[in-house]
Order: sequence, then structure tokens, then C-alpha cells
Amino acid sequence: MTSLALDRLNKHFGTQHILRDVSIAMAQGEFVSLLGPSGCGKTTTLRCIAGFEQPSSGRILFGDRDVTAALPEKRDIGMVFQSYALFPHMTVAENLDFGLVARKVPPDERRRRREAVLGMVRLQGFEGRYPRELSGGQQQRVALARALVIEPSVLLLDEPLANLDATLRDEMRFFIRELQQRVGITAIYVTHDQAEAMVMSDRIVVMRAGAIAQVGTPRMIYERPASLDVAAFIGRSNTLEARVEAVAGGGGLYVVRAGPSALRAAGPVGLAPGSAVRLLLRPEAVRVDPPDAAPAGGGNHILARIAASVYQGAAIQLVLETPEGARLIADVNGRRAVAPGQTVALGFAPADAWLLPA
Amino acid sequence: MTAASGVRRTLWDRLFLALVAAIYIFLMFPIVLVVVLSLNSGEFLAFPLEGVSLRWFGALFGNQRFLAALIYSVQIAAVATVVNAVFGTLAALYVARFAGRWRDRLRTLMTSPLLIPEILTAIALLFYFYELGIGTRYSLAIQMGHIVITFPYVFLNVSAALFNFDRSQEEAARSLGAGPWMTFRRVTLPAIKPGLITGGLFAFVISFDVFNISLLLKALGHNTMPLELFDYLRFNFDPTAAAVASLSIFVTFGAIFLIDRTVGLRSLRF
Amino acid sequence: MTETRTGAPVAPQHLRMLWMLAPAFVLLLLFFILPYVSIATMSLREASTRAVHGEGWTVSHYTTALTDAYILTVIGRTVLMGGLVTLLALLLGYPVAYHLAMSRSRWTSLLYVCVLSPLLVGLVVRTFAWMIILSNNGVVNQTLRSLGLIDFPLQLMNTPAGVVIALTHVFLPFVVLPLLGNLQAINPEVSMAARSLGASRLRTFLKVTLPLSLPGLQAGAILVFVLSISAYVTPALLGGVRGRTMSVLIVQYLVDTFRWPAGAALATIMAAVALIAVTLFLLLTARAMRRLP
Repeated sequence: MTSLALDRLNKHFGTQHILRDVSIAMAQGEFVSLLGPSGCGKTTTLRCIAGFEQPSSGRILFGDRDVTAALPEKRDIGMVFQSYALFPHMTVAENLDFGLVARKVPPDERRRRREAVLGMVRLQGFEGRYPRELSGGQQQRVALARALVIEPSVLLLDEPLANLDATLRDEMRFFIRELQQRVGITAIYVTHDQAEAMVMSDRIVVMRAGAIAQVGTPRMIYERPASLDVAAFIGRSNTLEARVEAVAGGGGLYVVRAGPSALRAAGPVGLAPGSAVRLLLRPEAVRVDPPDAAPAGGGNHILARIAASVYQGAAIQLVLETPEGARLIADVNGRRAVAPGQTVALGFAPADAWLLPA
Repeated sequence: MTAASGVRRTLWDRLFLALVAAIYIFLMFPIVLVVVLSLNSGEFLAFPLEGVSLRWFGALFGNQRFLAALIYSVQIAAVATVVNAVFGTLAALYVARFAGRWRDRLRTLMTSPLLIPEILTAIALLFYFYELGIGTRYSLAIQMGHIVITFPYVFLNVSAALFNFDRSQEEAARSLGAGPWMTFRRVTLPAIKPGLITGGLFAFVISFDVFNISLLLKALGHNTMPLELFDYLRFNFDPTAAAVASLSIFVTFGAIFLIDRTVGLRSLRF
Repeated sequence: MTETRTGAPVAPQHLRMLWMLAPAFVLLLLFFILPYVSIATMSLREASTRAVHGEGWTVSHYTTALTDAYILTVIGRTVLMGGLVTLLALLLGYPVAYHLAMSRSRWTSLLYVCVLSPLLVGLVVRTFAWMIILSNNGVVNQTLRSLGLIDFPLQLMNTPAGVVIALTHVFLPFVVLPLLGNLQAINPEVSMAARSLGASRLRTFLKVTLPLSLPGLQAGAILVFVLSISAYVTPALLGGVRGRTMSVLIVQYLVDTFRWPAGAALATIMAAVALIAVTLFLLLTARAMRRLP
């Protein structure tokens, strides 16, 4: 069942085109992140959903209800803001009651729901405190409780962890995700932090320059990026220039030539033999073998010289140079000594390499 | 904010905007009216205008009393501005940097001439100068009154500029071998210049307009511009008064224009 | 460190730099603080017909003032007019401040000038403008007469009403500026949060924006009240006898009838009235303010 749908949203501001044909459909209970650099349109999209901005064209549907023209207060949303936006002149209890009073919930019902939700965010006994008497993490949880206590049809989160310190941020990621799954609410999460989007989301919507660049599960986005832009934004990656030599069976497996080596790699279906491509290789997918070893079953080998080796504790980061002058980065197990200047064979499985049209 | 662009305007928005527009008209109407009537060629301060002319400005500049008052006002305001530019800047620097736990108390003291009713200060100075045996025989009393009453404007504006000033710039200058004086002249002063300009122009305009201080402390035989206008209005009610008023309005808008062009209006502090 | 430094100890910086504060401090001490002592002493001197004040000391100026029916009427009228001006200025100033705080149009700085400029145009000039508007042959009466609404001019000059209208105009910026600062400092996401929780715009304003702008309202109210009960020019030119206020009375004592000690006592009473009113106001608003950060 579709819980929330954006249908070709466009937004113009003067001569600027801020949103271009943004369409997303979300299932009930799904956690979707809008991910992208600042200015990519993710916040504008969220504000359109909340009703604080009006799209120039397109529709917003909550279930089968068209809310495109509805006022924010009529949309039945719960929203968590980057600044938490707690009412500074109200206690925690009054903050939580605010939405319930607007919905004319009777006092004893208010009290029951307040206590239930404070239990969920582990803040029982904080009812009488003012926001200024709470730590950043506690304020964050009150903001979350205030949005959830009204039992909204959608939960909107606008970079809610941006103002927390690193340790607390890690903790809150799991806390929010776990709470969202327990309540079973549909959630949209705006962030510019790819690690955050990775660990929390069912699906990620990568946005760029006002348009959607890719929609998919975290695994798809990371391993099968739709474009070089997406690949560059999510994690680190090596790229090698290559040319398609042949299609190696169905399911998007190809043989490509990069310099002297013929390599097998996965790619989107439909790459034509002879076309120029980029071969994407994540640093952690690379294995370092002795130069004379045979590649493990069906794998690839590239010869390269170790230019530098940086000890990083858990791993050693190697900077490698192929004879053609391409530079590659590889993260290898930290226990094995590798000396700069040495020539090694870089091995990787075809499924770990991904081809994109150049 | 709910009134942000991109959200539909409701009926309430329109009503609210109409209300705000009406209040702006209430704010500006009297001032515009004075300027318009000063251009009337007829004998009376009333509508309809008989024609447009500059005759009343001619009458103003032919009036020796107004001219003398104008010169006297400018002198008093100029002295007040120069003295305050120095005293106010030094005090603002001290309060911002070295006052420590005295900062808030000193700040209150420095701005108190602005917070305490002007007429009380005028009365106080009148008695004080009498007790000193100087009285109002010279321009000293009125001049000191103007300096004191306009002092907070320079102090506040320079303080605001200092608040936004990153002191590591000074440390950088010192580390590069500049002495305290060179650091002040080449780094600090340029940074607080907007506040100094705004505060100085403000002090000038306020001094030019101050009334109660001038009324009680004026030296014998000298009237400032507002006093002369006040006296004139008690016995005459013709467009010459409007011309005088217009002149003062032009001075004010000239100053606002200067502030806007040099440092921006948003930097104003009260 | 075992090595000790020799020579004179260096004074801390805040003492070495006191010379920067000295000119301003001496200025304010000599020509602001000490003069206020003069008001107090003057108000306690005996009256004299031959000199500014007599030889002896007395509190009779206070007792006379506080038992004189006419003076008490003037005090009452001054406070009432001040209260009315404050209320009107708050009512008119709030929408303007709210609009300026929310506005992001390129006209904003022009509107800002509109708010500021009355402050910078001299009091005499602004009062003069209101004389033109309110006099018997003024703009208001001319307009009403040409519309056939009245046969005889409305008496607007030389009444308390005229003074209240003009003072509201004169002091409006003093409400707008502190309120504007306050409203701009409120996190805009807070009112968005209220909307997202289902509160209408009116409810958001009443429950969130208005309480959070109380400090600005308070500052504006105090400023306008103190300024309007001590205003001189406007009531002197527009008020006539029926609109006479304490300031006008005091200046009469000082300049026209030359009764300095009695005038000093009246000035002290005016300061006390202002202080009492402000204190009462602070006490009344303390409950609402306690919740604010």
C-alpha cells in the first residue's frame, strides 16, 4: 500500500529551477532518506511535503488524500527539526500536549499517550522540565516524542542529528530507526550524511541539483550506483578507463579491456561492445596478491606498483600505480607488511566491479 | 516563517497586509505632508495647494534668525559628534575588552543618558551649572548637554561593530610585527569604521534635533534650529515653518542615505 | 620555575587600560551623575523671591505638590495619557514589527527606513506636522467638512486626544525596534513546529510567537511609557490647557514663574512616578516572563 507519493513535483523560485520532476512512492512503514549535498533540493522537498512550501506543479498524496494545497496544520504530519524547535516557554509535558490539544484530545487520554511516548523515548519523569534544562540528546528525544505522540500519518525528519556530537549521533541513529520500526510509521529523513542514510534507511533517494539521481536500497546505491556522481558522493571509489570487448553471458556481465589487462566486470544491461566505460572499484573490494599468483576462480588481476603505504590501524591504505599511470587506492588487512616500491597483483571479483558509461 | 514566498496568500494575509500598509501611511503621512506644504505657493498651510514654488525656502534663507539658528545648531552638533567619536570609541573598546565582570554595569552607565528622560537631564544640568556659578551665560552648558545626550549613540554603534570583530585579526597583526598603534590604525579602526560612521551621523542628527536640553540650557541670545522653529510656531503658522521643517527632514534623509550607502541600514543600533 | 622576576610588578591589563575609559567616565560623572544630585538638593531648598532659592531646607515643595488638587490632576492625566499612548503604540507597532521580521522582500530595507525616519526627524517638526493635521482648519477638519460629515470643526488641537495621537506617532519606532529584534531572534522552526502539530496560524501566534516576544513587548512598553510621560514639546504645542502634562508644568515653573525648588520637586515626583509605574509593570509581567529562557 502506498502511504505517501510525490508526483512530478517542480518548484521554481524566480528563474531558478529548484525541484525538477521529483517523484517518489513510499510504502506504509518504510524509512526513506533524502540524501545529497546542500542545495540539492532535499530540504525543499521535505518542506513541500510538510506544507511550508508550495510546489509550482505536481501533486503530493498521503494515501489517496491529495494534500498538495492543504495547510501544514491540516496534513497530519509529525516533524522533527534540525534545531529541535521545542517551545522554549513550555515544559516537556506542555510541548507534548501541544499537538494533542490542537486535536482536542481529552486530558486523561493526553496524559496516557504522553506517558506512553515518554516511555518509548526513555524520558519518564522529565514532564516538568523546560527544554533549556535538558541536554542536547534529551531535547532531541523530546522533539521526537512530540512528533510521535500525535500519531501522525508520516514522520518527517530534517537533519535531526546534525547538532549532536559524534558518539551521541551514532547512538541516536539506531534509536530512531528502532523506534520507527516499533511504531511502524512511514518516515522521510533528510540528511547530507551518507553513513547515516546507509545505516538507517530502507531506501535512499540520492538528489542532485534539484533532481533525483537514484532511488534504491543502501546496498544498491553503494554497489550499483546509477552514475559517476552518485558513486563519487557515496563512499570512496577507484575508477579505471576501459572499453567493452564482449558481453559475457546475460545478467550484465562483460569483458572489458583496461590497458593491457582483460577484466570481467558487472554492469548495467545494454552496454554495447566497443563503447567507452568507467570501471568502478571500491577500495575495500581489492585484494593484494603476489605478482605471479593466478587469480582466484573467475577473478581479475591488475599489476601495479605500490607508491605509498599508510598505516591506519585496522587497515593499511595502499596507493598504487598501474604501468599506464592510473592511481588506485586499496584498503588491505593491517597485519601484512607491504613495502613501497614492490609490484603486486590487485585481485577482485567481477561482481565487485561496476561499469558505467563514460 | 509562514508568510514565506511560495505559500498561497489567504484572505487573512491580505487583511494583515492592508493593516500594515495603513500603519505605514500613518507613520509617513505627517512627514510627507510637511514637505508638500512647504512647496505651496499660497499664503496658508492648507490644501488645496495654490501652486508649487520655492518661495518659502527663499523666505527661510532671507530670515536672519533662522540662518543664525542653523549655524549655531551645526556648530553644537559638530562639536558633540567629534568629542563623542573619540570618547565613545575609547570607552567602547575598553568595555568590550578589559571591563571583565564590570562590563554590564559599565554598559548600563554609558547608555543611561539615552534611557533616562531627556527633560530630567536638562533640568539636572540647569541646576548644576547654576551651582557651578557658570549658569547659561555661555554655550558651555548647552554644549555639554548635547555631548552627554548623544554619547550613547556612538558608544552603542562602535560596541556593536566590536562585537562582530574577530580579535584574532589583531593577534595576527601583532605576530607580524605591528605595534599596538599600527595594529589599531590598520586593523581595528577599519573594522569598527562602519559603527563609527553610523554612530557619528546619528549623534549629529540627534544633536541637531534635541529640544529639551536646548530649551533649558541655551545661552542667552542663541537659539538652536528646533527652538527657533518652536518660537516661530507659537506666533506664526505659515509655510516658512514648513520650509524649516522640510530642511530638517532633508538633513535626516541625507544622513540615512549616507548610512545606507556607506555601511548599510541594518547596522544601526539604539 | 625557580627563577624569580625582578623589577616592578606589571599591573593587570584592565587597570593599565583605564585611560581609555577615563574621558567618557569623567564626562558622565561631571555632566550626568553629579547634576542629578543637584535636582535632589534643589528640591529641598526653601523658596525665595530674591534669589534662585532661599537659605534653609524644607520638604514643603513635596507636601504642597502632593496635596494640591490641580497638580494631582496633572499627574493623573500625564500617567493616563502615557498609558494610552503605550497601549496604542503596542497595538500599532506589533503588526509592523511582525511584518518586518517575516518579510524577505527587497523592499524590506525601504520599510525599515519608514520605521526609523520619524525617529530622526526632530520632535518639533513632527509635532508641527500634527498641528497642521489637527488644527481647526487642518487636514482632518477640511476633509470631513468637504465630505459634508461635519458643519463645525472638531476640536482636536489643545485636547488630550490630539496629544495622544501625536505621541503615538512620535514614539511608535520605540516599540517596533525592540520587538523587531526580539522577533528576528525567535527560531523560525519553532512556529513551523507548531503548524506541523496541527495549530492554526492564529493559535501558533497566540501560543508560541506572542509569548516568546514578551521581552520585546516589555522593553518597548517601558520605553514608550517613560518617554511619553516625560515628553515636553508635543503636549506644549498641541495640548493647550486641557492637555497640560507634568513636563509642561515643570518647564513653566523653571522658565516662566522661576520657582526652581518647586520645579525640582515636581521633576523628582515625575521620576518617581515613572519608576513606580515601571516597577509595577515589571512585577505584573514577571509571571509570564519567568517561563522564558
